[in-house]
Order: sequence, then C-alpha cells, then structure tokens
Amino acid sequence: MVEVKLQNIVKRFGDTVALKGISLDIKHGELFTLLGPSGCGKSTTLRIIAGLEYPDEGKLYFGDQDVTYLPSHQKGAVLVFQNYALWPHMTVFDNVAYGLKLRKVPKEEIKKKVEWALELIKLKGFEDRYPTQLSGGQQQRVAIARALVVEPKVLLLDEPLSNLDAKLRLEMRSEIRRIQRELGITVIYVTHDQEEAMAISDRIAVMNVGTVEQVGTPREIYEHPRTEFVASFMGKTNVIPAKVVERNGDRVTVEFEGFRLDGLHYTGKSDNVVIVIRPERIRLKPAENAVSLTGTVDLIEYYGFFIEVIGLFGDVRMIARTISDREVGNLKPTQPVTFYINRDDIIVLPKQQL
Amino acid sequence: MAVNKWVERFFGTPMPDSVVITSFLFPLLYLIGFLVIPVLVMLLTAFVYNGHISIYWFKSIFGAPYYFNPLHPSGSLVQLIPWGNQQVYYFSGWDFGVVINSIVVSISVMILATILGVAFAFVMARYDFPGKNIVRILLFVPLLVTPFVNVVVVKKMFLPNGLINWIFYQHLHLFPHPIWIDGLVGVVIAQSMTYYPIVYLNAYASFINIDPSLEEQAENLGSRGFHLFRTVTFPLALPGIAAGAALVGIFSLEDLAAPIVFQGSAIAKKLMSFQIYSSFVSGFAVGNPQMAALALVMLTIALIIFLAIRWYVGMKQYAMLSKGGRWKPRVAKPRLWQAAVIYLIVIPALLITIFPQIGVVLLAFSKRWYGTWPEGFTLSHMEALLTQPDILRVIENSLLYSTVAIFIIILLSLTASYAAGRFKKAKLAPILDSLATIPIAVPGIVIAMSYFFFFSTVPPFKGTALDPTNLLAFFPGAALILAYSIRRLPFAARSIAAGIQQVHVSLEEAAINLGAGRWKALTSILIPMILLNLLGGAMLSFVYCMSETSVGITLGSINSTWYPITAKMKELITGSVGSANLAAALGVFLMLVQILAIVLANVITKQRYSFIGLT
Repeated sequence: MVEVKLQNIVKRFGDTVALKGISLDIKHGELFTLLGPSGCGKSTTLRIIAGLEYPDEGKLYFGDQDVTYLPSHQKGAVLVFQNYALWPHMTVFDNVAYGLKLRKVPKEEIKKKVEWALELIKLKGFEDRYPTQLSGGQQQRVAIARALVVEPKVLLLDEPLSNLDAKLRLEMRSEIRRIQRELGITVIYVTHDQEEAMAISDRIAVMNVGTVEQVGTPREIYEHPRTEFVASFMGKTNVIPAKVVERNGDRVTVEFEGFRLDGLHYTGKSDNVVIVIRPERIRLKPAENAVSLTGTVDLIEYYGFFIEVIGLFGDVRMIARTISDREVGNLKPTQPVTFYINRDDIIVLPKQQL
Repeated sequence: MAVNKWVERFFGTPMPDSVVITSFLFPLLYLIGFLVIPVLVMLLTAFVYNGHISIYWFKSIFGAPYYFNPLHPSGSLVQLIPWGNQQVYYFSGWDFGVVINSIVVSISVMILATILGVAFAFVMARYDFPGKNIVRILLFVPLLVTPFVNVVVVKKMFLPNGLINWIFYQHLHLFPHPIWIDGLVGVVIAQSMTYYPIVYLNAYASFINIDPSLEEQAENLGSRGFHLFRTVTFPLALPGIAAGAALVGIFSLEDLAAPIVFQGSAIAKKLMSFQIYSSFVSGFAVGNPQMAALALVMLTIALIIFLAIRWYVGMKQYAMLSKGGRWKPRVAKPRLWQAAVIYLIVIPALLITIFPQIGVVLLAFSKRWYGTWPEGFTLSHMEALLTQPDILRVIENSLLYSTVAIFIIILLSLTASYAAGRFKKAKLAPILDSLATIPIAVPGIVIAMSYFFFFSTVPPFKGTALDPTNLLAFFPGAALILAYSIRRLPFAARSIAAGIQQVHVSLEEAAINLGAGRWKALTSILIPMILLNLLGGAMLSFVYCMSETSVGITLGSINSTWYPITAKMKELITGSVGSANLAAALGVFLMLVQILAIVLANVITKQRYSFIGLT
C-alpha cells in the first residue's frame, strides 16, 4: 500500500486539454473518490494512474518512486474496468489466476490465493463457470477479485456500479467498502454519482473540466463547498445569483429580486455572487438567527419520507425540504409562504463562469 | 524522460513497444515494397518515352481509334445471320475501342448483376414460401468459383443449339429465331452470372439489417407495396447494394476468363484486360510501355470506382442509425401474384444462373459436349486428377503457393488490423487501413504487369529468381506467392479487423494492467478471442488464392513445371478439342476445396463466444 501523489498532471488529446494540471495527495489505506460529470477528466486521471495513458506534463509518484512513465504492466496499480473486462474464453478461476500466473507464483499457491479471493467476494464454488454464466453483480465481483488477488499497490475502480441495477448498486457499494476496510488498501474510485461518492469515500476530489475544484471529506464538501460548481453538483440545492450591496468586515448584505439578506459571511472580492442554501436547511417556522423571505407557494411535491415546498420569490424558485407534515400544514399553491434560514446555513460564493 | 509527440503522432502511443512498432512497420513496409513501389515503377515506365518524361504512351492510346473511339462505334448489338440452314439473332455488341468497351462492359455487368442480386436477395429476405430452404442451398452454388470452365459452359448455353434456345425457342417458342450470344455481349452475360452473388450477399445482409420498425412506421403512415420499397426499404439498403455493385464493376474490369473464352469472336479481345494479357503472352511485346500506360488507365478507373463507393458508403452511415437488440425480421407469405413471380420468374432465373456450375460438373464427367447436352459418361477426367503427373503437379503447386501465401496473409492481417484498429489516433493507422483493403481494387493483371517491370529492372531483384526476364533462374512460385499475399489480403484483413473491433480494448488493457506484456496480452487474450474470424478469413483468402487467375496465367505461366492450377486450366481450354473436360475436372476439384472450406467454417462458427460487458 502506498501513497499516490499527482503533481501538475496535464493531458491533451489533440487540441483539447483533458487535464489542466491536476495535483492530488492520496493517503495510504484511504478510499479516495474522483467525482465529476462526464468529460471532467476523472477517468483519464485514473487511466494515467493505471499506466494506460501517459501524461504530457507533470509527475506521478507511488510513495517516493517516480512512476510517471512506468508501463502499465510494471506499475502495480490495478484497474477494475467499468465493463469488468472479464475474458469470456476463460473460466472464473483462470480469470482470477491470470495475474498470479504472470508473476510465476507456484501452482499450489495460486490455488490458495484464488480461493481466498473468491471467498472474499463470496463466490466460492464458481471457479469453473464462464463469465457469461454469471449475473452482472457476480461478474463485477470476479473483476474485483482478479484485481485484489495480485495484491496491488493501489486498487482503481472506474464507475464500478454504473452497470448494475439500483438494488444491487447499494449492495455492492457496501461490499466494496467492507473489502477495502478488511484489507486496508488504498482505493481510488471514480464516479459521477455524488450520493455514491458521499456514502463510500474517506475523501472526495470534485473535478470539473480538467481541474480539481475541491478536495475534502464528504461532509466538508457538502457543508462547505468552496465553489459554485461544487455546491451545485453536490445534490439538489438552491443556487441563487445575487449582488453584494453592503460590506461590514467579513459580514455582507446581499440582494436578489428585491430581497435583502444581511449578516452573511463572505470574504470574496467580487460583488457578483451566488447564495447557496441546502433545501433541508430551510424552515417554514421561525427559528433563531434566521433571515426570513416571504413569497408564494409554487408547488408542493410529496415524496413520502419528505416533502418539498417550492416557493416563488420574484422570479427565483427556491426549494425547501422537510420531513414534517405539520410544518407544511395546509399550504396550497398560490398561497403566501415564508422561508426561515439560519444565517450560518447560507453560503455566499463568488459567481463562477460555468 | 518525456513524452515524444512525434512518436505519438505516428504510432498513436507515446511509448510504442516492439510489438506495436512491428505491427505498424511490417505490413506497411511489405505493402509498400510489393504493391506501391511496383505500381510506381510501372507508372514511371508509362511516363517515359525516349528517355524523357512524356505522356506519349497515353496519347498513343487515346489518339488511336483501336483503343478509344467513343463517337463512331463499329459493329452492332444484334444482327440476323445465317447459321446452318436457318437464321439466328447474333449478339456481339458495338465496338467503341478498347478503353470504352471495358467501361461499357463493366457498367452493363454492374446493372445486370444488381438486378439479379437484389431480386434474389429481396425474395429471400422478405418472403416465406414452400421450397425456400432448397432455394437457399441453390444460392450457394453460384458462389463457387470455377475459373474459365464456367464461362465455357455459359458460352455453350447461349449457342444456337444451346440450353437457352432449347428452352425458349424450341419448347416455349418465345423467340422467332434462335439467339446466339457471343463477343462483348457474351462477356457481359458470363460476368454477370459469375459475379452477381457478390451483390446478392451484400443486398441480403442489407435487407436483413433494416430495423423493421422503420418499415412498420412507414406502413403505419400509409405507405404500402412498391411505394414502401421505393421510399424506405431500398434507400436504406442502397449503401450495401452499391458496395456490392462497385465490387462487381471492378471484378468485371479486371476479368480475363470471359474474354479468353470468348476470344473466338474478335471483338471480345478488345478489352483492356485482354489487351494487356495478350501483350504479356505474345512475348515480344513484354515490357511494352504502351501496355503499362493502358494498365494505369485501368487501375485509375478501378480506383475511382473504389474510392467513390468508399466515400458514398461512408456518407450514408445512417443505415446503421437505429441498432440495438435483436428484432424479428419481416418475413411474409407471398400473395398469389407474388408467388407467381417467385415460382415463374425468380426461381427459373436462379436455375439458369447456377447452370454454369452444374455444367462444369457435367463437362468433367462427359466425353463430348457439342449440342444442348453433354454426351458419353466417363470418369477418366476425374481419374486424371489423381493420376496424370502434370495435373497432380499443378495441384501440388497451387496448394504450396496458397499455403505459403496464407501464412503471410495471416501475419499481415493480424499486424495491420491490430495496429490500425487499436491505435486509431496514429497518423499511420488510416494509411495502413487503406493499404490493406485497396488490393481489392487493383486489377490482377496490373499487379502482374507491375511485378514484371519491378522485378526485371529494380536492382535488388534484377537477375534473381524473381526476375521474369531471367528465364533460366526465374521461379514463378515466388512471384505468385507475393502476388497472392497482396491480392487476397483484404478478405482475411477485413474479417480479422471485424473481429478485433468486436473485442473491447479493455479486455487487453486489463491483461496488461495485471502485469502482462503486450505480446502476452495478444497471445493470451486477443488472438484466442478472434480465432474464428482469423480462421474464417484465412479460409476465404485460401480458396481465392487457389482460384487466382490474372497473375497465375501471366507470370505463373512462364514455366510449365511451376504452373498453378489456373494456368493449366487456361492452357487446356484454349488448347486442343476435348481437353476442356480435363479443365472442368480441375474446376470440380476447386469447387470441392471451396465446399470443404464453407462446411468447415460453418462447423467451427457454431460454438461462438459472445462478448460480455456493456460498453
């Protein structure tokens, strides 16, 4: 197990710059996630770590060793492919044993190790099956076993759950977490699903068009997004363009659609800002240190375990989420409604060119 | 160390290993050495007159009415002439000069072959009728290649006392006089019957691949019958049909068998392929730069057809737009009038087009064939296959040349398809891809001619066993193997490239990522997975090597000890009376080789792996 360090990695494909100088420090034994929309460069980053692509600039280190240009078969960073890439002409056993045979491991030991790996992924007894005879989830687990059995320095997972149905996805998610904890290995995980990333990761790097926007624990990223992109990418949220109209130290007053919110924390230079408010932080009853906004009800959406009230404030729609029926009461569309938001729950960020 | 952009541009990867470099350079150098440079040497010869660069030889072609006479054709399509004590309609065709004749013949063959191929394909793809399975088997028959002898049978069929008149004149009384098809018309008929299966296969695949919902939607909006075919079905199938038709046009252009069999009629000789060929065999004209110029004209026309169709098919990729999942093909029971068309026109037409192959078998087992039917059953010709030393010799020769050629072809196709298919960003990839498919558009006689100039003039080869003017040492086998390996490369290369495309690149990457070198990943993952494509392509290339004609009867016929089968067949059918039967026996042998290959291919491909994974 090693630390993985990326220093200013740049990768171009023809005229497009896929990675614009990525730097990351991944600790050993950590489950680290690269999160971002498709085309943000997360898979390219992963393929560079795996040695399947080479960066145009920058360095890649495993521990103290510079492995930037080490070919994939010498790198020891083993990738589990999005489509599993199981070899259909080999049995489960032969698939898992492939890497061990290349390492000239004695036959007896190969047998033991494959057995161990299949046990780990709960597929003992499937040795003689062919991949086509397995379900999607089983194929996925064989692919993980094939990678784990060679004791990789770092395990790379490329959208491992994207080809599974919703129920299996949850199951595999905790399975991957369990295996990672059990073996204490470094895992780099790529996904575009923010919920998946939050649930599984020790730390997350949010990526956008070839750059890293923010690195942090799931909680840091969710509660303290540092950019508008991160704020809007992490789940359904209210992002409202506004203007700073008054500054008082690190406290500012902002205005949108004629509504003024005062006493908000902001130290940025630009007066063009967005205010970010998580729907679940909006109350329909008065609360402490709260600003209030009065508008009209646009829609009420009933999800069962929570309810969303969508309010209209001028032309701005804002979503409030609550688990309390009582709080919603008898509200109906077109009726007036007041949203109460604690000032500490309002994040002001500079407006970003997205 | 840093990434070398120059290397990446050419090889598609910044750090190519020896396997990657070999995969690019071996096929590239081989194809440049034995295809591009020989053609360039011939080109140079055609542009030199009296030691100067000149277009003299091209002027000598386009200025002479013998070669180029588009405005005042001589002869007539058909005329009534006496034959014995009766009158017959004698078809021979107009003479526009050699160059235009070749083009007119090629276009006529394209049209006729397309009509036949599309009609059979549409009936087979869309109708379910009693006897369909028999028809399906019969449709395999015209695919069997029997050089020269099938044309001999076609010629007999269309003589005044031949099968066609026996049916349509004697029994059905459809003609006022018997017909006799000869000359260029005979060439057109023979080539159409030989090559229409190419259109059939392409058209059938196209009709089968049309998403039924597209036609159902049109029906749903009120389109029916011929309107539906004209507005939806045919346009969607057109790219496939056009590709088949273009191939037929090229094959017609380069064909030598039909003009050689019909050469009794002087006009049949006035085709580019025959002219170049006869300059070759008449000896003294060998090395004639005018013929090099004519070969270039022919090559240019073939390449124009080839590039035009590539461009057109590339543009019409929409045919592939709605793919996904399997669908139930639209097969219907024919209505009464449709059934009448199928049983009274389509199936009889099919029977006529498969008669040449049947006739070859009859010819091989008979003593004479002067009238409508062959006479006198005998096994002596078939026995000669196993006993006559010169016949055994040519079979051995062809098997040897084809086997060696096929090994080269497999190496070339594997390396070229791997390099071009896996490193698509490489600047060399499209060049390699084109070089591996373009031999299909290069007429065999052009290759023969190019090799002649190349090996007899260019230093490393001049005076060696490859130099045909070095009569004592010349070993035709070497030249034939080279020619076969180039000419038959596209069949295997296309099959293997299709195989590689079906194997997702992640399967190899996974192996490399787990610690395999590239060579190990190739031998343990890719090659086992494409083994069936490899065997199928190799078999196809092999049977076409065995029946290769143009180079076989030119470079291959210089020394009778080293004749391939086709050189012997040509000698037999143009030789004394009766030996055509022996040629037919060789034709039967070739058919058996092809049937064996088809059966083997079917048996093997039954157990196919299906690729798993979703992206």
